[in-house]
Amino acid sequence: MIVTNADSTSVPTSTKLKISDLNVYYGNFHAIKNAALDVPSNSVMALIGPSGCGKSTFIRALNRMHDLTPDARVDGDVLLDGDNIYASGVDPVEIRHRIGMVFQRPNPFPKTIYENVIYGAKIHGLRSHKNLAECAERSLRQAALWDEVKDRLHKSALELSGGQQQRLCIARCLAVDPEVILMDEPASALDPIATSKIEDLIDELKKDYTVVIVTHSMQQAARISDFTAFFLMGELIEHAATSQIFTKPKDKRTEDYITGRYG
Amino acid sequence: MTATAVRQRESAGAARRRFADRLATVLLWSAAISIVVALAFFIAYLFYLGWPAISWHFLTAPPSETDAGGGIGPEIFNSFYILFLTLIITTPIAMAGGIYLQEYARPGAFTTIVQFCAESLATIPSIVMGLFGLILFVNAFGWKFTALGGALTLTLLNLPALMRVTQEALQNVPQSFREGSMALGATKWQTIRRVVLPSAIPQLTTGIVLIAGRIFGETAALIYTAGVSVSAGKSAFDLNPFHAAETLSVHLWYTHSESLVPDANAVGNGSALVLLVMVLAFNIFARVMGRGLSRRLTGK
Repeated sequence: MIVTNADSTSVPTSTKLKISDLNVYYGNFHAIKNAALDVPSNSVMALIGPSGCGKSTFIRALNRMHDLTPDARVDGDVLLDGDNIYASGVDPVEIRHRIGMVFQRPNPFPKTIYENVIYGAKIHGLRSHKNLAECAERSLRQAALWDEVKDRLHKSALELSGGQQQRLCIARCLAVDPEVILMDEPASALDPIATSKIEDLIDELKKDYTVVIVTHSMQQAARISDFTAFFLMGELIEHAATSQIFTKPKDKRTEDYITGRYG
Repeated sequence: MTATAVRQRESAGAARRRFADRLATVLLWSAAISIVVALAFFIAYLFYLGWPAISWHFLTAPPSETDAGGGIGPEIFNSFYILFLTLIITTPIAMAGGIYLQEYARPGAFTTIVQFCAESLATIPSIVMGLFGLILFVNAFGWKFTALGGALTLTLLNLPALMRVTQEALQNVPQSFREGSMALGATKWQTIRRVVLPSAIPQLTTGIVLIAGRIFGETAALIYTAGVSVSAGKSAFDLNPFHAAETLSVHLWYTHSESLVPDANAVGNGSALVLLVMVLAFNIFARVMGRGLSRRLTGK
């Protein structure tokens, strides 16, 4: 627990993700330098910073996506409910089941809407038609997409608009019932209306999940997040309750960034 | 220099650029058109020569050794049969190799060696491969001329191309599909089987059918492996893979160079026409099917 939000008389929350001494390298490039961050359960943590500051690299370290990149190397600890996801013997596939991810560009598979939603659930062993259909409806409702697609579940997902595709990707992620949802600029490729739908959705999601979201937009961070972490050139400069970061940042560089002096 | 002079110089430059642009357009257009014209002429000429030979009898009857009036029935069947044998042997091996190279192999000595071997195999002339098949399957294995020996020789010949086709089809599957699947907790193999391969199927199918067209027309590698004779007198549809199986293209070569029949020219022209139409059909089929499959996949 790092944050004691001044104006919150909140119930004590536990730490969902505890990140310490995290370093990420691409070949010889040191992309993340000694980052440490605690993410409380059922909260929204926003990662902000100028382009190339390492926020996407950081979030991809939280579900071991860097394992898929041949020359990326991660060291340090990421504890999920106290267990290090980088400990030897931990199956990254199991980690990605518990920590879902939504990407910057919507990436539905070239399959039907229904097949997209149940893809992960099916892989993790959900079998009967009844269960799969229930799972699909529940996930699509949660992602606020059900009413728009319920009559065309068996049409190709690629026929949906960008915003609908992104909500489908969120539904697909919810269908495997993760504990943490990582979002890497999920609204950056979307128009303002689709963006506001995604933002409303994130607010709903934190009731059941812990959300970590990379965002390019400080307004978005201010609107949706409980906590904010500011990255600059691979360093995690400062993190605190969002209201505090935006009103009285401790670090001069944070202040420069939020007052628009760079980025 | 005055302002007018500068403008004049500029406009002279602009005229030159415009001329070069037009010239390039004309040259490239004429290159494209000459390809179409050459093919159209070739097809028309073959129709002109070959059409009189075509009849139901010609398409179904067995060939003749000495008399006029032989057909190409068994040859057409053998062409398809050897193609079928080749594809069922080649496709699984080539796809496995392509999947390995594209999805699993990390850069390193072993991968380089595999790639190098595949590229070398691809450059071996088909006649050399045919002679190799003669030494191995016909003589060393003692099979004599067989459909299977021919098919295995064609496997060696087409394995690299089909592996390449697989690799390219997989390369064109966006990385975001793989990441999306892995991020949902799928294993690598689940990702390949459920997302990557299905997405690659239109391109994969097109590639396989195009290679099938090439296998269908292959000649030099088959003369010394599948032979120049068919099991005369028996059924035109000889399914025994250990019988000699002259294909259409080999028959075309044979009638023109060795045959004793008085109507060799007519038989040759007719065979050539049938062969050409079939290979064209493969190409058209590959395009239609690839487009159809990708439309079904993307819903567009």
